[in-house]
Amino acid sequence: MDGPMRVLVTGGSGLVGRAIERVVKEGERREGEEWIFLSSKDANLVSAEETRSVFQKHRPTHVIHLAAMVGGLYRNMRQNLDFWRDNVHINDNVLYMSQEFGVVKVVSCLSTCVFPDKTTYPIDETMMHNGAPHESNYGYAYAKRMIDVHNRACFQQYGLRYTAVIPTNIFGPHDNYNIEDCHVMPGLVHKTYLAKKEGKPLEVWGSGRALRQFIYSVDLARLFVWVLREYDEVEPIIASVGEEDELTIKDAVDAVVEGFGFKGEVIYDTSKSDGQIKKTASNAKLRKYLPDFKFTPFKAAVKETCDWLAANYDIIRK
Amino acid sequence: MDGPMRVLVTGGSGLVGRAIERVVKEGEGREGEEWIFLSSKDANLMSAEETRSVFQKHRPTHVIHLAAMVGGLFRNMRQNLDFWRNNVFINDNVLQTAHEFGVVKVVSCLSTCIFPDKTTYPIDETMIHNGPPHESNFGYAYAKRMIDVHNRACCQQYGRRYTAVIPTNVFGPHDNFNIEDGHVLPGLIHKTYMAKKEGKALQVWGSGRPLRQFIYSLDLARLFLWVLRDYDEVEPIILSVGEEDELSIKDAVNAVVEGMEFKGDVIYDTSKADGQFKKTASNAKLRKYLPDFKFTPFKAAMKETCDWFEANYDIARK
Repeated sequence: MDGPMRVLVTGGSGLVGRAIERVVKEGERREGEEWIFLSSKDANLVSAEETRSVFQKHRPTHVIHLAAMVGGLYRNMRQNLDFWRDNVHINDNVLYMSQEFGVVKVVSCLSTCVFPDKTTYPIDETMMHNGAPHESNYGYAYAKRMIDVHNRACFQQYGLRYTAVIPTNIFGPHDNYNIEDCHVMPGLVHKTYLAKKEGKPLEVWGSGRALRQFIYSVDLARLFVWVLREYDEVEPIIASVGEEDELTIKDAVDAVVEGFGFKGEVIYDTSKSDGQIKKTASNAKLRKYLPDFKFTPFKAAVKETCDWLAANYDIIRK
Repeated sequence: MDGPMRVLVTGGSGLVGRAIERVVKEGEGREGEEWIFLSSKDANLMSAEETRSVFQKHRPTHVIHLAAMVGGLFRNMRQNLDFWRNNVFINDNVLQTAHEFGVVKVVSCLSTCIFPDKTTYPIDETMIHNGPPHESNFGYAYAKRMIDVHNRACCQQYGRRYTAVIPTNVFGPHDNFNIEDGHVLPGLIHKTYMAKKEGKALQVWGSGRPLRQFIYSLDLARLFLWVLRDYDEVEPIILSVGEEDELSIKDAVNAVVEGMEFKGDVIYDTSKADGQFKKTASNAKLRKYLPDFKFTPFKAAMKETCDWFEANYDIARK
């Protein structure tokens, strides 16, 4: 491929898309490169025709594919068919149009939540298809897994090296902070903000003992850009801090409390489920490629996120 | 649902479709029922619009969905992307359009070849998703597996009871008898026909020792009708003779030789691979429902198939 990249980012207005936009602006962009951030306003990617139009308009050389139908636990459980179908359509449209338009590389976004429910730990990149996913969101999970099937089949038939990234728990600015629908970190951040504002205790669900690996969206964004430029495998790559940096939910709560300077009571409602105690993912492959990559220290990343939420409360997705 | 069924059969001109057509004609059809057998000439089911048109035209109450892009080993290995995408489109179009048109029940067709490559035996209905399929046809295999995912999600979200059957090795008239692309029994029948015609030896690849379960297309057709009318589960059902009726390839060769009245030499080329030694599937679930179902004796079924092939050589697919 001659000349600089023209990168189309689908799902550009989301948690990861905004982080990529920021790191590109703050120094990752190279001379002559063009980065286009799409949102659902620009095209409904469930439609093949609209996807084609947007590819025709922008003629990208590269794609970072983040767009998906995502939802919280309860919505997933009620609408497995919609999560399966809409995501399969989005993914097929983006991957197929990329191929048609001669896109050199597509980097899609998977998740550790699509891995087999019954498995050994730590999980690694080779294990994704080794069993059925969790019952609560199998529609979403299978649709994401099929990105990897499409990538491998596309490589086998056409030699294209489209690939994917598998993050663990992402957090940062521009997240979905809806307390019922959202993930654990944005939920804690939003609840602590409200507790502080209303002078009430912070209520945390569960015992706080469950362990998780968290990755700051800005760090993930830097890794996405590295994968786009340098990672040559079709097999996906887990993007996460290492096992040694697993934290408890209580550690996360403490960091959020500190991030807001919250002085009120913290109550752990142990009648609520902890979910899985451990979901450890191995980042050995990432470390093999980038032994010196520095993740933003957790407390600093959480502070940035809390500050952002407080400054932008009116416009956040909630 | 009031009134008699109007059944649309996709893939109606294939091995299984023709068998269903025959059993319906010969007594399995009921008063007032309408059976419509589609082929690719009637609609390209990879197109959502054409699928919709054919549903609008016929307004079925029930669907037996047999249509698929199928191929032999070598074509699968070269075109995994096409086998994945085209079959996902066909299946999504038929299942989604059926749902939109209020079809009461869809019975789709899976295969034991889509099961996990690394597995214990006998395989049963609960094991389909327990690991990756064989590398040679993963595109086709995942597309078929996703029929089951779609069925479960459609039941969870809309209460539909769409289901699927899982046959082992099907054989009978109207098969694809192409020696390179076809499956083991039609391949043997065609080769024996040619050996007889040319006065040459019959060359069989492998040692003849591997074991397989074979199901005659007419028996499968009768079982499809039972599933359509009386099987209420969303989880699929294996349709096969029992483990006790597993036959070696050599048994099959002997039956073909007898059926074709072939008098020449039979040579086993042991330099060629045998493939898997055993792929035993359990028919315990079928036997729980239909303890008295009688399969056509293998030699009689083979004789019928050989006679059909000889009488219809010119029009047989090869």
